[in-house]
Amino acid sequence: MPESLGPKVYSWLDERLGLSPILELALKKRVPDHKHSFWYYWGGITLFFFIVMCFTGVLLLLYYRPGDGAYESVQQINTQIKFGWLIRSIHSWSANLMVAAAFVHMFSTFFMKAYRAPREFLWWSGFGLLSLAMVFGFSGYLLPMDDLAYFATKVGLSIPAVMPVVGPWIADLVRGGPDITAYTISRFFALHVVILPALFIPLLLLHLGLVQQHGMSIPESEQQKPEAERKSIPFFPNFVFKDLAVWLVALNVLALLAVAFPWPLGPAADPLAPAPADIHPEWYFMSSFQILKAFGGWFPGVVGEFLGIAFFNAGVVLWALVPLFDPNTKSGQWGRRVTWFGFVVLAVLIVTTIWGYAVLPAVAH
Amino acid sequence: MSENQNTSGSTEQGASSERRTFLKVAACGVGAAWAGMVGYPIYRYIASPVEEAASADVVTEVEVEKGAELPKNAALMFKFGTKPAMLIHHDDDTWSAFLAVCTHLGCTPAYQPEEKRIFCPCHSGVYDAHSGANVAGPPPKPLPQFKVAVADGKVVVSRA
Amino acid sequence: MNYPAWDVPYLGSGWMIGIVAIIHILISHFAVGGGIFLPLTEAKALREGRKDWMLRLKGYSKFFLVLTGVFGAMTGVGIWFAIGLASPNGTSALIHNFVFGWAIEWVFFLVELTLAMVYYYTWDRIPAKLHLTIGWIYAAVSWGTLVIINGILTFKLTPGPEWMASVGTGRESEYFFDAFFNAGYLPSLGLRTLACLSLAGIWSLYFFSRLDGESDGKTKASMVQWSSMFLIPSFLLMPVFFAWYVFTIPADHRALLELGISSASAGTFTHVTRMTILSVVSSATIALAVMFFAWFQPTELKRGHALSILFLALLATGSTESVREFLRKPFVVNGYMYSNGVRVNQIEGFNRDGYLTGSVWSPVSPDAAFHHKSVGERMFQGQCMACHTLDGYRPIRKLLAGRDTTSIGSVLKMLHDNAPESPYRKFMPPLVGTEEEIRALRDWLAVQVAPASH
Repeated sequence: MPESLGPKVYSWLDERLGLSPILELALKKRVPDHKHSFWYYWGGITLFFFIVMCFTGVLLLLYYRPGDGAYESVQQINTQIKFGWLIRSIHSWSANLMVAAAFVHMFSTFFMKAYRAPREFLWWSGFGLLSLAMVFGFSGYLLPMDDLAYFATKVGLSIPAVMPVVGPWIADLVRGGPDITAYTISRFFALHVVILPALFIPLLLLHLGLVQQHGMSIPESEQQKPEAERKSIPFFPNFVFKDLAVWLVALNVLALLAVAFPWPLGPAADPLAPAPADIHPEWYFMSSFQILKAFGGWFPGVVGEFLGIAFFNAGVVLWALVPLFDPNTKSGQWGRRVTWFGFVVLAVLIVTTIWGYAVLPAVAH
Repeated sequence: MSENQNTSGSTEQGASSERRTFLKVAACGVGAAWAGMVGYPIYRYIASPVEEAASADVVTEVEVEKGAELPKNAALMFKFGTKPAMLIHHDDDTWSAFLAVCTHLGCTPAYQPEEKRIFCPCHSGVYDAHSGANVAGPPPKPLPQFKVAVADGKVVVSRA
Repeated sequence: MNYPAWDVPYLGSGWMIGIVAIIHILISHFAVGGGIFLPLTEAKALREGRKDWMLRLKGYSKFFLVLTGVFGAMTGVGIWFAIGLASPNGTSALIHNFVFGWAIEWVFFLVELTLAMVYYYTWDRIPAKLHLTIGWIYAAVSWGTLVIINGILTFKLTPGPEWMASVGTGRESEYFFDAFFNAGYLPSLGLRTLACLSLAGIWSLYFFSRLDGESDGKTKASMVQWSSMFLIPSFLLMPVFFAWYVFTIPADHRALLELGISSASAGTFTHVTRMTILSVVSSATIALAVMFFAWFQPTELKRGHALSILFLALLATGSTESVREFLRKPFVVNGYMYSNGVRVNQIEGFNRDGYLTGSVWSPVSPDAAFHHKSVGERMFQGQCMACHTLDGYRPIRKLLAGRDTTSIGSVLKMLHDNAPESPYRKFMPPLVGTEEEIRALRDWLAVQVAPASH
């Protein structure tokens, strides 16, 4: 109870900030408890990794220098600054785990049909957050400017560049010229630490606010039960404590990865060197990368590129619009078909990702 | 509406006020230990340049023992403060001294009299024996160079 | 080479010990800690007349018997197989020195297993007081196995000074007690006993998480909170014993703790620092996770929660044992035997007469053409393979990638010279052998690294 912690301080703050209503809400709020409750924690896990990234990101800013000396500054963080390698390793691993957790969160809410009315905007804001997270990942990947970062960014930017007419123009603007240079680093840096956070954080607050407003959605199997049989636990302290414990487990997974596999820093990027044969984008872009490559192989020339982009974008648009064509439980048979659509999307993502890695040329040590 | 038993209820039942106090102290202790654990690496990270500057200030000049006896085209390892350093007597009777910490991954490089170069065996990095410039291999920067003063049979190495 | 080399591709023989040992430690520490948990809990239940507890305890002791008696015992024997194959010289040295200790350990172990069965099968069949006494005897004997093995484990990092002075005299085993009760003995015994209690609490949480929180709410809440309390001693005393233990570590080995702070490479140089971080983080987290998952809401503890606490325990014990092993680098027995089985007092002879010359297991073929090649491979098997694999863990092909014969030669020369300022000295044994043997190793490695160019 906060009163016992310092009643005077609390009442002083309460009078000025109006804490009581918030506290009452938190104490009254309940979280449904059923056999699928496990999936409720994944949004929180994603949030935890985001918080870790904010903290470690700010710490990296203390020593990182965008522009010509970017590589040297990361090298300094890695080899001279105390625990610099640890901060950087946590930042990079946290980024990957955040995207992974966001995918789990997205698919679990999809299959639990949490996007249905009145939660459409939760789905759309979540969709926006994941898209921004991927741009975060892409822009952050270039910043150390080692050879992998350089060539992966080069390959990554070739995806928008294949768009007819506007593609090359967009790619040039993003790069700040026809090649990846110090200009590109500065642009990506501004994107990574100013523009993206400025878009991400308000959207995140909207997302979290909507969760509070609508509460957790319950899966159909629970909705069919009479109200009296549905179980729930108090949000505070029960759910909060469990959430905290889950965060601690997540932190340990992060610590394990960060110390057992410290994020590597390759040799400085050399634009004149030949690209490594097995160059490929990060795993969360692998599926789109492979789909474009596959269509390019099936239909040579511009047609293939166009079809690849069309196929991929059609999938993304359908995915985003799912609350509109599966709006509520009355969907019935149609709702089950949408679930199958989810399985197909999941299968395509997994298969094309594995396929993408499988066809990478083996590189001799 | 059936609910799971509320925890605060179940702890209250058997808990004396003593136990509650202990629990509070323990919780605060765990929290403090935790904050310290997370804070320590962050503090070291932020304070890194301060520590670096402090350790750099300690030693500015070192007299190399038996330095003057060093024959031509040979090198001698000595300690500059806490770090290994290298004194080289060149064929033309000039002298060089470097911090012997490879700028790549911190191994200790060695002078090779046959090739007249400084070589780091860890990843085959090569430095110029006169200037310390990184001429081949993975080292990203030259070796930091010291000033060498030879007088009265004494070799004194100081921060450049 | 006096024993055959155990080639475990990709993983390396060290990891075989590691995998078996981590499972064993997680269970064997429970065998000791659970031995204290059982009679303590039984006594409390008797004193307070808690029928519900007695009922659960009986089931608990069956779980305990199966887990420790089957999996604990099996993995214990597994460690013997693994260390005998991976590090025959080290195992032999330990047996020669501690044969008496191991005999006692074996007796304790036999009594322990027997008592665990007696304890389970005599529930409700003998007077309650006698049953409780059996539990306490089990606890004492089981802790006794820790008392013995702890002496041998700590000996490897801090062998006693008198024992070290006796090395080479052939009378080493006369200094049994100096070697056994070495500097690290007490702090390590304290740390392990605390770990035993914590693991007893964590495994108990796992067992009692299966109780139904609704129909059995009261029993579950009391047993879960009681189990959680077994982590309190660790939380209070672990830092003290840890500091004491660190204090007993020889200074040059302690320096390894700091080595990785400002340098990031995935390699061995920073291993101790990296694993220490994991050990501290996971140990500190367990206390909080138990608080949030179990103590505050005992009836809602589910199996998944308990399993994730067990996962944290696995991380904590795994990383801590790995730190303990790595602090000893480059030795198996500090100052006496290197990790590849080469004894310190053998180096001179090996360099003069050859590493393979007196080799009992693998005499080198006299055929001159074959000779050079097989010498190189045998050198690798004997001196490198204890820690390196070709392509997997600490992969030689990757570590030497991009080097030609001359460059490999200069690395080997540096390892052979083992100069005081060499950074490799902190982790790697000196390379021993005649010039010809080292050349053979160099040529063999060069072919492994770049087969096409030869």
